[in-house]
Amino acid sequence: MDNINSTMNDNTFKAPFKSRTFSHNRLNITQIILYLILISGAIVAVIPFFWMISTSLMTLGETINRQWLPKIPQFSNYIEAWTEAKFDRYFMNSVVITLTTIVGLLFTSILAAYSFARIKFFGRDIIFALLVATMMIPESVTMIPNFLMVRGNIIPLPGLPEWKGSWLNQLPALTVPFMANAFSIFLLRQFFIKIPDEYWDAARLDGAGHLRFLVQIVLPMSKAPLMTVLIFAFIGSWNAFLWPLLVTTKPTWRPLMVGLYTFVTEAGPETQLLMAGAVITLIPILILYFLTQKQFTEGIATTGIKG
Amino acid sequence: MTETTLYSPNAPQKKKFRVRWLDIKENLTGYTFVLPAFIIISMFGFFPIGYAFFMSLYNWRVRKGPFIGFDNYTKALGDWSGVVLFIAGFIFLIVAYWLWTSAFNSKNSNLHLATRLFAAIMMIGCFIVISKGWGSMQEAGDKNFLASLPITLFYSIGTVPAEIALGLVLAYVLFQRINGKEFFRMIYFLPYITPAVATAVIFRTIFSPRENSLANQLVGLLGKEPMKWLFEPKPFTTAFLGINAEQLNLPELLIGPSMALVSICFFGVWTYVGYNTVIFLAGLGSISHELYEAGEIDGASKWQLFRHITLPLLSPVTFYLALIAFIGTFKAFNHLYVLRVPSAQGTVDVTSIYIFDTFYKANQYGYAAAQAIILFFIILFLTYVQNKVFGKKVFYG
Repeated sequence: MDNINSTMNDNTFKAPFKSRTFSHNRLNITQIILYLILISGAIVAVIPFFWMISTSLMTLGETINRQWLPKIPQFSNYIEAWTEAKFDRYFMNSVVITLTTIVGLLFTSILAAYSFARIKFFGRDIIFALLVATMMIPESVTMIPNFLMVRGNIIPLPGLPEWKGSWLNQLPALTVPFMANAFSIFLLRQFFIKIPDEYWDAARLDGAGHLRFLVQIVLPMSKAPLMTVLIFAFIGSWNAFLWPLLVTTKPTWRPLMVGLYTFVTEAGPETQLLMAGAVITLIPILILYFLTQKQFTEGIATTGIKG
Repeated sequence: MTETTLYSPNAPQKKKFRVRWLDIKENLTGYTFVLPAFIIISMFGFFPIGYAFFMSLYNWRVRKGPFIGFDNYTKALGDWSGVVLFIAGFIFLIVAYWLWTSAFNSKNSNLHLATRLFAAIMMIGCFIVISKGWGSMQEAGDKNFLASLPITLFYSIGTVPAEIALGLVLAYVLFQRINGKEFFRMIYFLPYITPAVATAVIFRTIFSPRENSLANQLVGLLGKEPMKWLFEPKPFTTAFLGINAEQLNLPELLIGPSMALVSICFFGVWTYVGYNTVIFLAGLGSISHELYEAGEIDGASKWQLFRHITLPLLSPVTFYLALIAFIGTFKAFNHLYVLRVPSAQGTVDVTSIYIFDTFYKANQYGYAAAQAIILFFIILFLTYVQNKVFGKKVFYG
């Protein structure tokens, strides 16, 4: 996999037209056109974000008269959105939900992916194919039965006595359904399967079982795919909207996205607060993105091609 | 386990036992490791499909009611003979398409022409049958549900080709000798990773009907009157191009999507172009340099290189992206839910949104489940068709 990653990096940015030599000092017309295309694309991609940030710093009057930039940046809008729309609570909820989901997801997918890649057991390929098939199912189909499921209408659910057998408005409803998915298992399996058998033979000679081999040898080798799974899980969980909207009728465990949506319906004409709220929801994702940018795009490129 | 066979053949009894014990242990470990993931995916992935079907057979509003068989489906689709006509029309359309393409292979030019003619007539016939079936479904069925299907289709057609074409252009340009590739790639990717709810909230203000909203400022530069964008239920042909489609008395499908839906399509394209660019870039990177060099030696122009080397070798990527994007539009929910406003009068309610409303607002669980199952079959069918019709054109090298 290391090889795969490195060859991909090498090739991704190597221009095919080596033989065509542009003079380095002068930009010719083709290159100007190319840059124009790229820059206009970048402007279109960024303008909504620019619009969001500039609006979030305006006074109400400025949002109505619509200038491009606020005269004096109103940072108080952020404080107002943070407290007024209960974003402090929703933000913490989202952090807890996302972290819990990621821990659970990594646990189940690492074990399952290892098993599918390196242990021979009866019916393995059929079970794997079945799991992969779930990637096709639209959320519209699963949401209705799953809603009844987390309400405890179908099978009894474990939980605290005061939950009265239902997970509605509780943390497990927002995390447990996402603690395993076929995509993560698939991604890790593709990596684990390529680890040479010699490692396993050596580990077995030293008396290690599967679990020790997995923890001590396989995982330290798999930082790149684990990181990819983690990033995808983070985005999926942080950005989730439809399911949290269904299962959080009270603000107790309501995540940020649902909070932002309820704010949209309540804030009315106060666009500047709305935009400040949108900025707040974006910040963690942007930090993660800029920190892991390369991993991110390349992870998506490799999985995209193979998936 | 294979090395056990190398040991002395004098102790077959012992060997057999050893192999078995190892096998059992290996099997047990395998199952134990898979178990946590399997339980969760079964509970929240598999089980719901069966259960949704089960629910769809009952008059289930919040609580389970009496068994009603396929009444929920009849309520949604209206007339079963219409459904049969509709589906048969599509099946024959595929057959006609197959005839049309297979005409290429026949050597006899008379036969070739005859097959093509026959296929063309058949296609026209199919369209008539489909529209007849559709008409009788609409008369008896759930008008809003049925209307959500062409809206979904409009949304697909309005986003997928544009996304893919723009993604390809940007990737191709980025692949040339350009400074700051990583920077551009990072910027293009931004809309894809940011939460759809937040970006949709931004687009709500950009495409707002206010005179000085960003979208209206832009059309103002083109000398157009401000428009209502997301709040405009009229077809875009009327709102944007100024054609009065209602007077032309065209069938609903030819009039086109509402201006509100077109505004949402802009959002869809804006979000997914970056994703396609990144995947196309990886695809471009996997095409070997020798091919281009060989082409250049033969004196091929840049366009010829693109047309005869890049495009065919990228076709698996293009096909994959088209498939994912197309299925994605049928599943899309979050941004559509945030971007819809009451003034759009339901002209942006795609099927997934309508199902959500039936379930969450109208509390008709059984009926919503039936609609979801119908949507699921449509997705399966479209995936199959896409594989059959376009999958063949993919060049796998």
